[in-house]
Amino acid sequence: MSGGVIYTETLVHSAPEQFVGEAPYQLVIVTLDSSGRKITGRMSPPDRVSIGDHVDFDHDRNGTPYFRSSAA
Amino acid sequence: MRSVVIAGIGKTSFGALADRDLRSLAVEAGQKCLENAHALPSQVEAFYLGNFAGPSFVGQNHLAPYVAGAMGITGIPATRFEAACASSGAAFYQAVMAVAAGIHDVVLVVGVEKMTSQTTPKVAEILAGAGDSTGEVKAGATFPALFAMIAKRHMYQYGTTREMLAAVAVKNHSNGAKNPQAHMRKVITMEQALNGKPIAEPLTVFDCSLVSDGAAAVLVTTAERAEEFTSKPIRVLGVSQISDHVALESKPDITRFDAVVTAAKKAYTMAGLEPQHIDFAEVHDCFTIAEIVATEDLGFVNKGAGGRYALDGKTALTGEKPVNTSGGLKAKGHPVGATGVGQICDLVMQMRGEAGERQLDRARTGLAQNLGGSGATAVVTILGVQ
Repeated sequence: MSGGVIYTETLVHSAPEQFVGEAPYQLVIVTLDSSGRKITGRMSPPDRVSIGDHVDFDHDRNGTPYFRSSAA
Repeated sequence: MRSVVIAGIGKTSFGALADRDLRSLAVEAGQKCLENAHALPSQVEAFYLGNFAGPSFVGQNHLAPYVAGAMGITGIPATRFEAACASSGAAFYQAVMAVAAGIHDVVLVVGVEKMTSQTTPKVAEILAGAGDSTGEVKAGATFPALFAMIAKRHMYQYGTTREMLAAVAVKNHSNGAKNPQAHMRKVITMEQALNGKPIAEPLTVFDCSLVSDGAAAVLVTTAERAEEFTSKPIRVLGVSQISDHVALESKPDITRFDAVVTAAKKAYTMAGLEPQHIDFAEVHDCFTIAEIVATEDLGFVNKGAGGRYALDGKTALTGEKPVNTSGGLKAKGHPVGATGVGQICDLVMQMRGEAGERQLDRARTGLAQNLGGSGATAVVTILGVQ
């Protein structure tokens, strides 16, 4: 996985029980450059992005992809 | 196919009902429905229960015979239907099919959810079970977060604004204040709605429906047998249930729900009606953006124009197409498993002229749209006065 474009995003303030300690966090759906497929992941703090921004894959945690802003 | 009617309705109040358990709520709605239809438990030929997460919320399984038995109903098929927040919509759909096909003459459909005995983070976690546990949920998505992402994309593609979202909340709170059975009977201002505590941006607490306890029931029978039960039968003109992918990321365009678009087309075709023939609607406003998307998916307004439609007051009680005269999930409350059947009850009350302070002058043809998850189940029902 390389990177892609932010299709949509939200900053989650009210988290489910297992993620309460991590809020607020930015959840994103990224349209991957490689396949055009959409995938749900997180932004690596402290990076924040908007729709249309380009992001790069940063790391995987428990099967969830974390991205960083390509602009940084 | 036989003509199908609704011959009785029954609802509990929706709210945080600390002294009530799941079964007592379901039994109250079911008994009120039978009384409303002047029907006896022995006349019920099948019992369909809509419930999303009783096992998680209250630790009880095998819910349909558990509730039916407490109503004195045994010796018939009793089955639970689960389709997330469209659970009782799905149960209703199956009841209509069974009666239309001649399998049963009289089916009692009850929807119920008991949610408020859990903490908010736990409720969010249980509700997230309606999402994709291998992807979006594992990444930290809640339902407010999924609908926030829908709202962000709708704003990006169509210029929808925070004020348009807030207009839905203000309108539904205004309607809910006129509904004695609503969870929250409190009028809110545009300023309040815009400055609520953020939940998942751009959604604030005022964009989110309520966590509620409650139950609702309808008695479904044939047009022929209706006169045994009621002088005001309401006919089921069209009904459709449609599925889609569970994960939001799997949908080609998240600013519409393809399952709703398809279910609406099929229900309109079955009824021989077009969107302009619908006098009023109860739609699934689990979040304010969902009502805006619903008015577009149902063909009340062009794609992308739903926000402006709400802001301009077209969906108000006095508007050209009143939406959620009950107060919707936003103010009436959203005991998820009860919502689909609750919407049918709200349509019937308007169509019988029993809606009190919120009664419409013209309510001959009504539509209900019930959504499960982020659009993986949709049930659309069109009712008409006979």
